[in-house]
Amino acid sequence: MEKILEGRKVTKYFGALKAVDSVDFYVNKGEILGLIGPNGAGKTTLLDLINGMHPLSEGKIYYKNKDITHYKPYQIAELGIARTFQIVKPFPGMTVKENVLVGALFGKQKKGISMQNAIKKVDEVLKLTGLYSKRDFEVEGITIPDRKRLELTRALAMDPEVLLLDEVMAGLNPKEIEDVITLIHKINREMEITILVIEHVMKAIMEISHRIMVLHHGKKIADDSPQKVVNDPRVIEAYLGERYAKKRVKNDAK
Amino acid sequence: MKKIYAFIVIFIIIGFLALFPKFFPGYGVRVLTGIFMYGTLASALNIIAGYTGYVAFGNSVFFGIGAYTVAVTMTNHGWNFYPGMLLGGVIAAIFAFVVGFPLLRLRGPYFTIATIGVNGAMLEIVNNLEFTGGGEGITLPLIRMSPQATYAFFYYLMFSVLLLTIAITYWLSKNRFGYALRAIRANEEAAGAIGINAPIYKTTAWMISAVFTAFAGGIYAYWMTFIDPSGVFDIMIGVKSFVMMLLGGGGTVLGPIIGASILELVSEFVWSNFLFLHMMILGIIIVITVMFMPRGIVAFFRRKTRKGMA
Repeated sequence: MEKILEGRKVTKYFGALKAVDSVDFYVNKGEILGLIGPNGAGKTTLLDLINGMHPLSEGKIYYKNKDITHYKPYQIAELGIARTFQIVKPFPGMTVKENVLVGALFGKQKKGISMQNAIKKVDEVLKLTGLYSKRDFEVEGITIPDRKRLELTRALAMDPEVLLLDEVMAGLNPKEIEDVITLIHKINREMEITILVIEHVMKAIMEISHRIMVLHHGKKIADDSPQKVVNDPRVIEAYLGERYAKKRVKNDAK
Repeated sequence: MKKIYAFIVIFIIIGFLALFPKFFPGYGVRVLTGIFMYGTLASALNIIAGYTGYVAFGNSVFFGIGAYTVAVTMTNHGWNFYPGMLLGGVIAAIFAFVVGFPLLRLRGPYFTIATIGVNGAMLEIVNNLEFTGGGEGITLPLIRMSPQATYAFFYYLMFSVLLLTIAITYWLSKNRFGYALRAIRANEEAAGAIGINAPIYKTTAWMISAVFTAFAGGIYAYWMTFIDPSGVFDIMIGVKSFVMMLLGGGGTVLGPIIGASILELVSEFVWSNFLFLHMMILGIIIVITVMFMPRGIVAFFRRKTRKGMA
């Protein structure tokens, strides 16, 4: 399989804190890679490093075998890597449609795009994510779940090849989570977009991911199929504590 | 349909203003020329402050550069007015580019203060240069026309620059470039993540703003026939333009012109009727608008109509 995105010994210090500690990772083309870990494990920081928002302290990141370690966020976006933010960052003072339009006008190398084509693209992605009926709302006037959906819609309008999703399901109810899962599958299969997704909703991450990578205190502690990862003692320990993990191993042995 | 009505109204206004000096020469022409000048300044500031969100109080530096370029080229080198005005625009744009690249990294009040600093530095430089006449100022050659024709000349000149500024702003409000600026104002981090090269867009926006501010300054110098550094590098020019923009509505095409018209007319009225209360009454008007229409007159009425439609 072809690696579309790859990191080698990716490291980020914030002062004395190693937020991301020498992590090797890769994402195959067409894959959905889940990224999990307890709070403060360095998941969002890793996304920030890929996306160019923070410079790396050490290590290298490659996109299609090209070194993109020192690229700025706008250059990363032009290459075809789009992201959503955990704390949503809509553009206030614009309507939902205009927010998405900015994504369609920029993103992946769109210097010559006509306004007409951009608007066509906007309608297309708005219909896909189910925000079409709210397209003329001021962005300040929509609910939090809709804002999360808007983040995703805006990222899709950028025509990405790789999508980095940071907790797009947090705060959604079970029905809404189902919708997003269906949507992510659709984006991955029909639009052929590679996805790296951070998520706390375990049921969802198990269902969508082809492979899961686990971070804990900035270090990678597991990287395997969803089934293997949830049964990995180190992962259970990271999430539920040492005692629980030992007990569980004992029970399994019986 | 609404758009067609709006265009008809705008054409009537433009037509009326174009014929105004023919029918009402004199005082009114001068007042309107002043409104056009501030309309241009507020619109030019709107591009960087209203659309992009970078409050450049120090935009008066470009006004001064435009004014002094015209003054120096005409008085010292015997140039015609127009090439002097164009050169002023070019110098202002280059200056905005050179200063903008480092300064536009600053955000919020830090940027604003830095622009005030740049303006102050330029004021001192011009004060101490010989070819600008230093602190004593510089006198420009008089225009050889009857007073009425002179007033009309500056009226049409200022009017043309204002229309050009509005046209550019309108074009900007509809295209990719304008959306980049609005995205930067709304959330610069997200704008970057979407693929917007913010430093380039911000600097270009400031350069456009600088060009029109310099044009207005150039015309002003020729109009007044005498300028001195503290007059044209007056930080209050930037502050006043900002208040006008805020009053009418930043980030809208016509807001700054509406704001400039209201403030200049009220100012003219108050000035001639209550000389001593002038600043106080203006201050009260500003406080009231900021409190009740924080996003300006245009946004205030737009919201009203939107609510009415829903």
